[in-house]
Amino acid sequence: MRRRASATAALLALGAALAIVAGAYATPERAAAPAAQSGSDAASVKCGKTRTIGFMVPVTGPAASIGIQQQHWAQYYVSTYNKTHKGTKFRLQTEDTQLGAPTGTAEALKGAQALAGSPNVLAVVGPAGSNEIVGVTKTLMDGGLAWVSGSSTRTTLTTDGTRTGYMFRTVPPDAVQSTTVANYISNKLKYKRVYIIDDQETYSTGLADAVQAKLRAAGATVGRDGVSQQQSDFSSLIAKIARDTQIVYIPWQLPPKGQAFGNQMKAAGKGSIKLMGSDGLFDSSFASVGAHVYDTNFPLNPKSKIITGFKKQHGGDGEYFGAPSYAATQVAATAINRACKTGTTTRAKVRAAIRTTAIPAKASLIGVALRFNRNGDLSTLHGFGLYKSNGKDFVPIPG
Amino acid sequence: MNWSLFFDLTVSGLTLGSLYALIALGYSMVYGILKLLNFAHGDVYMIGAFVGWYTLHALGGPLNPTISGAAVLFVMFIVSMLGCGVLVVAIERFAYRPLRNAPRIAPLISALGVSIFLQNSALLIFGASFRDYDTFDLIGVKTFSVGQLFFSVTQLLTVVVAVLLMVALTIFVARSRLGKAMRSTSFDREAASMMGIDVDRVIAVTFFIGSALAGAAGVMFGLVFGQIYHYMGFIAGLKGFTAAVLGGIGSIPGAMVGGLIVGLAESYATGYLPQGSTFQNLYVFALLIAVILIRPSGLFGTAAIQKV
Repeated sequence: MRRRASATAALLALGAALAIVAGAYATPERAAAPAAQSGSDAASVKCGKTRTIGFMVPVTGPAASIGIQQQHWAQYYVSTYNKTHKGTKFRLQTEDTQLGAPTGTAEALKGAQALAGSPNVLAVVGPAGSNEIVGVTKTLMDGGLAWVSGSSTRTTLTTDGTRTGYMFRTVPPDAVQSTTVANYISNKLKYKRVYIIDDQETYSTGLADAVQAKLRAAGATVGRDGVSQQQSDFSSLIAKIARDTQIVYIPWQLPPKGQAFGNQMKAAGKGSIKLMGSDGLFDSSFASVGAHVYDTNFPLNPKSKIITGFKKQHGGDGEYFGAPSYAATQVAATAINRACKTGTTTRAKVRAAIRTTAIPAKASLIGVALRFNRNGDLSTLHGFGLYKSNGKDFVPIPG
Repeated sequence: MNWSLFFDLTVSGLTLGSLYALIALGYSMVYGILKLLNFAHGDVYMIGAFVGWYTLHALGGPLNPTISGAAVLFVMFIVSMLGCGVLVVAIERFAYRPLRNAPRIAPLISALGVSIFLQNSALLIFGASFRDYDTFDLIGVKTFSVGQLFFSVTQLLTVVVAVLLMVALTIFVARSRLGKAMRSTSFDREAASMMGIDVDRVIAVTFFIGSALAGAAGVMFGLVFGQIYHYMGFIAGLKGFTAAVLGGIGSIPGAMVGGLIVGLAESYATGYLPQGSTFQNLYVFALLIAVILIRPSGLFGTAAIQKV
């Protein structure tokens, strides 16, 4: 009996192991060929007074802490807009994608199906993750829906041609961020011993690969590792980092994880090694690790009225990772209003309106005008901002 | 041989292993008595970490504690252990006890349901944000080194407290009246009942003790690794379960040794194997499968004789 129970337990453990491995390492690269358009693409929709934007975001799951920032910023745009416009209102129809959970992409797909099948939804903000975008591409395109992501940075998403005219993003791709990072480390800091740790997600590995290649080309010695976002114990990993390493680059998405890593580095007596994060870690919690921390982010102006207003509503916290979702919501709402001038519209018209978005710099959160190139990337944003911690917050590095 | 790396990995593995051992004990004790795989146990550990955090802040927070740092730590452990114990006794009463005579799959499904309930309740109540124990503010960045052996005060605290709790549990089960009742119930529930043992009470105490240990592990995790969040119980629960199976589910010494083996395996895999940190779970579960294939009852488990 006991033997049988143990065998059952072993089988359960094996199943659990497979579930973890599959969940953590599988990135379903669904074929994303342009689909034949369904009726919903050209179906006429009465715009009405209240217009609906689909919103795909990790509400639950391991990435919920960054999802909440995107929700706050998107909701902030909608609430501000609704307060200041009497004629039209917007609402967000939110679908939880559970980014990073073992069921992540499947949940995103379910959300995409719900939005594609909901006739009132005219455009989508999100999804957050590049792997999710690969997973939902066919469904959203079949439904004729355009989507504007505020955080997916995998370069090929817009350059491989499979989503042209449907996918747009308000963040620069990895190619831009990686160049900024690699140039700063090799040309300005002149560091030659670098350690890079990705967080095993598509966003992070893509960025880490690109920076690693550029630094090696510049003659640096680069160590490389990866660690799950679900992990909080970095002590074994930190033990592997040589004490003469000059900088550790961690392009992760969860600022508290960056903070935990930095603190564990200090606890291990390696607090003198510089740390550099990516836009996903641009948060005061990561900056609080110490003045030896660098980061990159979208070129936000912390003194802009939009950011000041947001922080006032959110206990002084800028939640900057979510800021591009504000811009994404702004793009979707503006395009829907343009496409709804006659009172009715189609999803095809909304897509066309997003393609020709032209929001001036003074109304834009990210400091530049919002216009897209043919691929769906911002044609006005050519670089990332570089920041250094003062021990509490990140401040821009001049030049 | 890079001894510095080896010692660092060993300290890290022992710290992690101590946490897994405490979690594994809860799985093993409950399985030993009820033959129930309590999959909600990992989430109880998460709740324990949050209870510890709230206790810390109720006492003034890490920067301005109203009592001494050592007293804060003591109260955090006590409140978290009691909180988790009481919570799980209530869960046992309402989610498991009504299914005690149902087919074995029913309480298993109930346990999975409780796990998801706890996880989502934590998301609802505590929010999605990470909470920081700010251990450095509470007790400072204190580290010790003996030759090439380098460890922090929180790592030392974790291992020492875990060992003390495990020794206390072993003595309790071996020598106390209630411990004897637990062993009797584990051996044959019906016979124990006929001998006048209050089986319901014994089961409730077993859940209480197992959950209290998980609560202590949750606080230790927060102190050593800094951050806690609503999803942290999932992987830790699986690792604890792995440790329990590896050691021989139902065996208390097995759970302790299993936890330490899993912790050390994870740490050495990260340090020495190719792409170790990326594939550490693969290596750990491969070890589990290998051990189970060689010893299906686990390292300390014994195959029971089946009457036919």
